[in-house]
Amino acid sequence: MTLQECYAAIGGDYEEVLGRLRSERLIQKFVLKFLNDPSYSLLVETMAAQQYDEAFRAAHTIKGVCQNLAFTTLYQSSSALSEALRNGFTPEAPALARQVGADYQMTADAIRAYQEGLG
Amino acid sequence: MANEQTRRQKILIADDSEMNRSILADMLEDEFDIVEAENGLEAVSILQKHADEISLVLLDIVMPEMDGFEVLMVMNQRQWIDDVPVIMISAETRSSQIERAYKLGITDFISRPFDALIVHRRVVNTILLYAKQKKLVGLVEEQIYEKERHSNLMIEVLSHIVEFRNGESGMHVRNVRTLTELLLRQLVQKNNRYQLSPMDISIIGTASALHDIGKIAIDEAILNKPGKFTDEEFAIMKTHTTIGAKMLDEMVIYRDEPLVRAAHDICRWHHERYDGRGYPDGLAGDAIPISAQVVAVADVYDALTSERCYKKAIPHEQAIMMILESKCGVFNPELMECLIATADVIQDVAHNIKPEEVSRRNIQSITQEMLSHEELTASERTLELLEHERMKYNFFAALTQEIQFEYTLSPAMLTLSSWGANRLKLGEIVMDPLHNENVLSILDEKNLKSMTAALHSTSPKKPVVTHDCRVCLDGEKRWFRIIARATWSSEEPPRYTGCIGKAMDVHDSRMKLTALEQLASHDPLTGLLNHAYARQRITERLAELPNCHYAMVIFDLDHFKSANDTYGHIFGDQVLKHVANCLQSSIRTGDIAARAGGDEFLLFLEYDTDLESIIQRIFHALCGQYEDFPISISMGIARTQIVGTVYENLFHAADQALYTVKRSGRGQYKFYNDTMKQMLSVISPIDGSQEDDTHSAQEGADYK
Repeated sequence: MTLQECYAAIGGDYEEVLGRLRSERLIQKFVLKFLNDPSYSLLVETMAAQQYDEAFRAAHTIKGVCQNLAFTTLYQSSSALSEALRNGFTPEAPALARQVGADYQMTADAIRAYQEGLG
Repeated sequence: MANEQTRRQKILIADDSEMNRSILADMLEDEFDIVEAENGLEAVSILQKHADEISLVLLDIVMPEMDGFEVLMVMNQRQWIDDVPVIMISAETRSSQIERAYKLGITDFISRPFDALIVHRRVVNTILLYAKQKKLVGLVEEQIYEKERHSNLMIEVLSHIVEFRNGESGMHVRNVRTLTELLLRQLVQKNNRYQLSPMDISIIGTASALHDIGKIAIDEAILNKPGKFTDEEFAIMKTHTTIGAKMLDEMVIYRDEPLVRAAHDICRWHHERYDGRGYPDGLAGDAIPISAQVVAVADVYDALTSERCYKKAIPHEQAIMMILESKCGVFNPELMECLIATADVIQDVAHNIKPEEVSRRNIQSITQEMLSHEELTASERTLELLEHERMKYNFFAALTQEIQFEYTLSPAMLTLSSWGANRLKLGEIVMDPLHNENVLSILDEKNLKSMTAALHSTSPKKPVVTHDCRVCLDGEKRWFRIIARATWSSEEPPRYTGCIGKAMDVHDSRMKLTALEQLASHDPLTGLLNHAYARQRITERLAELPNCHYAMVIFDLDHFKSANDTYGHIFGDQVLKHVANCLQSSIRTGDIAARAGGDEFLLFLEYDTDLESIIQRIFHALCGQYEDFPISISMGIARTQIVGTVYENLFHAADQALYTVKRSGRGQYKFYNDTMKQMLSVISPIDGSQEDDTHSAQEGADYK
């Protein structure tokens, strides 16, 4: 799988990120690094513990990272979630969190597949 | 500046996401040194230590511990924002937030997702801009200095012409200027009735050189007349004020320049008197411009202390006295206070200073004023010195094994030396430490409160507080000595702003001391107090509360010698220990129990009414059996009610009571009464009489 194909699977915008970061090496480095970023597990933990201010920060961080890497799909759902949590819990937050979970799984799966391809 | 090219600039990246930090670091690390902070608190801590090394901060808004806005607020409070540019990077899109960030002094705002090229370009531009500004500050300073120097030179030439005609030394103009500036600075410091900026003072100083310019039009024969003026001559002489003013007034193009205006006022009115009896206009009080008032004082002082064609030089002290006593004119009382306050400095500088030095010194403050930059812009050299100082400080701090700290009230923040932070297992920066759980688990609230209270009640003159307390480290309580110096603001009245200080672990030495004290004050066998120490404690107690009821009890073991003889000395020691334990457990904490020597014990206690039952209880607690040895006690008791509160008398009386018991068959207790007065002593003599000595030895043979 190429990096472009990985982006397609993720629902990301490869052209956009290449335009900003300007180096395939750099993009690859950070895409792989994404798997180790603790923000998602932090989000899951804090949502479960109903610590919504922490959950807001975690969602906000995911949003920022996705924005930088142009992971459009996950960016959109995490962005919606962070807005829903900005001032504490809102009724739509749990559904949005589930959407972030699904998008995260899809993103992480595609990156792992890409990583295996690299050998 | 050469240094700047070789030394790489440092950028601080503050963002809670490691991913985001490393994306930014990746873009910049080829050209810059990168320092990372994962929350606002860490960013502040890095700035606290290295603010003058950091060339730029890339700051995220949403962060744990302390967010980006709070970081900016601290940067404003500490005035770091003046020298360290901040670029905010955030996914934040709401304009209110962005505006707030700009208001807090950020230089630029980059929104996510960011473009590598733009981040790089903006960082470089901002750093260049700041470097350029620093350089420009230096340049402006240089240029102003040059310009000042030239115009000063022109003015000096001009005023020298006047002096030359006047046959004066050429120093008069310089001295007047120096004194004028000194007095003005003092006046401004004293109160704010006169709104004079450093620039105004400099202008008045320069203009003062022209105060006698009108003398150019006065006939030389009058100017240099050694004797007293005739009325007519004096009238002509007086015109130098109006002539000087007129000359300046006629410079149509420049007459509204501040310098020319000041020179005009000075020329015309430097011979006015505060009481209105001067010339040419007879102005009184504050109607005379302050510039002319000050120059008048300076002029008179220098005239008095210099030699003139009509007089000799007068010593400094005498000149000051003459001015204060209004022998050479009447001046503004406030100016007289300034004269007194600066008298010593005036004496030092009046005939020594080079005017270039004065103006060099003034330039800096003027430039600062122009740039309306609140703090002195640190030059490269200052930065190096600071860096050196900090290195020294850190090195020595690490060597001393002390916890060094700084506490500021606003923001409520505790900064610890790195060694100290390690030792306490705290961060180097702790926000709101008085309510921080970790801090409170180390030093309890009571101690924190009493320290805070002590620091608050210090004064700028006596700001140091020493506090010994127990600190909890790794679950162990250890004694620490905290020495802190309160910091007070320089305003009036001074405000408490926090403290600096250090905490030293004095546990081991304190324990050693306690052990030594214990050794010196206690009997090693029984753990009771020794006789000497008990005596000291009892004497203290008697002096403290002489009106209470006390009893002194002395007892010994009957037939103790036989225990030693039959069972050996080790057994004898065990018996003594046993009795000491029985005694310890039958008395109250306030009572004083001691081993008086051999098998004699001493007890001192306070009682309310029923002494007898207390004694009975103790007596029975002591009697009994230790293994096969039956313990029998003889006990004498003396009461302060009967004997008084002198230790020696009490002891002697109890001893006599004990002796009475010994005489009448042992195994009981007796209270001292007057019939026992003539009794001999059991225990070694108190009054040192031969008789007692003999007796004591005899009686002692029975049980020692």
